[in-house]
Amino acid sequence: MRKSIARIGILTGRNVREILRDPLSLIFTLGLPLALEILFYLIFHELTSQFEMRYLAPGIVVFAQSFLALFVGLLIATDRASSFLTRLYVSQARSFEFIFSYALSILPLILVQSVLFFLVGGIVDTSLFGTGMLLAVPLSLVTSLFFIGTGLLLGTLCNEKSIGGVSSIIISGQSVLSGMWFPVEGIGQGMQTFMKALPFRSATLLIQNAVNGFGDAIRDFLVPLLIVLGYTVAVFVLAVLLFRSRMRSK
Amino acid sequence: MTAAIRIQDLTKSYKDVTAVDRLNLEIREGELFSLLGVNGAGKTTTIKMLSTLVKPTSGEAFIYDWSLSKDADRIKGILDVSMQETAIARKLTVEENIEFYARLSGQTREETEASKKEIYGTFGLDQVRRKQAAKLSGGWQRKLSIALALVSHPKILFLDEPTLGLDVLARRELWKTIEALKGKMTILLTTHYMEEAEALSDRIGIMKDGRLLFTGPKEELFDSTGKESVEDAFIEIVSGGGRHA
Repeated sequence: MRKSIARIGILTGRNVREILRDPLSLIFTLGLPLALEILFYLIFHELTSQFEMRYLAPGIVVFAQSFLALFVGLLIATDRASSFLTRLYVSQARSFEFIFSYALSILPLILVQSVLFFLVGGIVDTSLFGTGMLLAVPLSLVTSLFFIGTGLLLGTLCNEKSIGGVSSIIISGQSVLSGMWFPVEGIGQGMQTFMKALPFRSATLLIQNAVNGFGDAIRDFLVPLLIVLGYTVAVFVLAVLLFRSRMRSK
Repeated sequence: MTAAIRIQDLTKSYKDVTAVDRLNLEIREGELFSLLGVNGAGKTTTIKMLSTLVKPTSGEAFIYDWSLSKDADRIKGILDVSMQETAIARKLTVEENIEFYARLSGQTREETEASKKEIYGTFGLDQVRRKQAAKLSGGWQRKLSIALALVSHPKILFLDEPTLGLDVLARRELWKTIEALKGKMTILLTTHYMEEAEALSDRIGIMKDGRLLFTGPKEELFDSTGKESVEDAFIEIVSGGGRHA
């Protein structure tokens, strides 16, 4: 067990360096969402409540997490393409150690994202500061697990060239189906149910509700949390099984 | 002399293809054994099976006394492999790559420092140690990739076409490095370059369509084919298709 933990630490350290040394990952996971947060607030917040900081900042936090699926996936796909992983398979590291290390290497970046977007949001609109924000930051780590798991799954399934295109489906899904950019009340009931059944809307609602208060504990907290956790468990189980099978078939 | 690798009827079949067909071979401790063969002969599949990356369909192999099918974890602890493709952490520096592999193989900080010095000395990598691996030339990347296979101080080293894609100078330089490793560990090398096998090997094996057609030292290869170069002897055996040893 001690050897496993040590190996996870070593693998995670390497993954963190790989991600942080890729300027594109920092631009897309930090720079772009931050610019969108400020711009959308300045342009639209007086026109519709959708873009008030108490809704916009939580939405941006989850939206930025969707880019992480791309970067985790890209790292795994690149490692596979370059035979880097094949070489590591000959080491005594086990499949779950690889999976954990990829997942853990992203968590510091997620924490930075949440704190940064809430902090900047709070500076722009001070009403954002409060106990809700303190609850939203750790909850955002929970929602991020869905995107990390999705990245692990896509990185195991896709190659270096296709991962960008496939990941963009997740980013688009989060963008369109989360309801963060438009008022959901205006669309049909069927579409609303469809959006609620997917994890994107629930992840966004969970963080928004954490900031603005859980009016109804079951409707505003438990249901979206369980939906997100359900999808998270599913993508993680699939990712681990597929990763193990790929590792063995090498 | 102790056998480092004993292969008994090792076979790997895919749907319609038998990549390795009842391979029997013994490689002695400290020996450098070269496997030759055209594309699809089964060389890489053999290395992948012996390095626990691919499960054999049937047959068995022993690395020292450990069985490939039962003791894969123990076997992993004493071997390393350098695959055809360059396998390095591209955004890490040369030094960080060596540190990463050393720590992953369970070395302490002191042992890692010693490994770094040893690798720098053997491969001349100290001059580029602070450079990011992705920014190295193809030759240096290849060198680093092979060097990383030595970081764990393996008793058995598999080199799958180590000089593939290198220019003639880089290839000759790498030969010197491989030559220096002879006797320190058991090496199984696959290559398409006949002169490489001739220059480096203690013994040569020739594979075709998954089957081993010849094993022996180059002198025996010349005697059995009546040829004077490994290339001519190889062509004779592969095009003749007969079993020479």
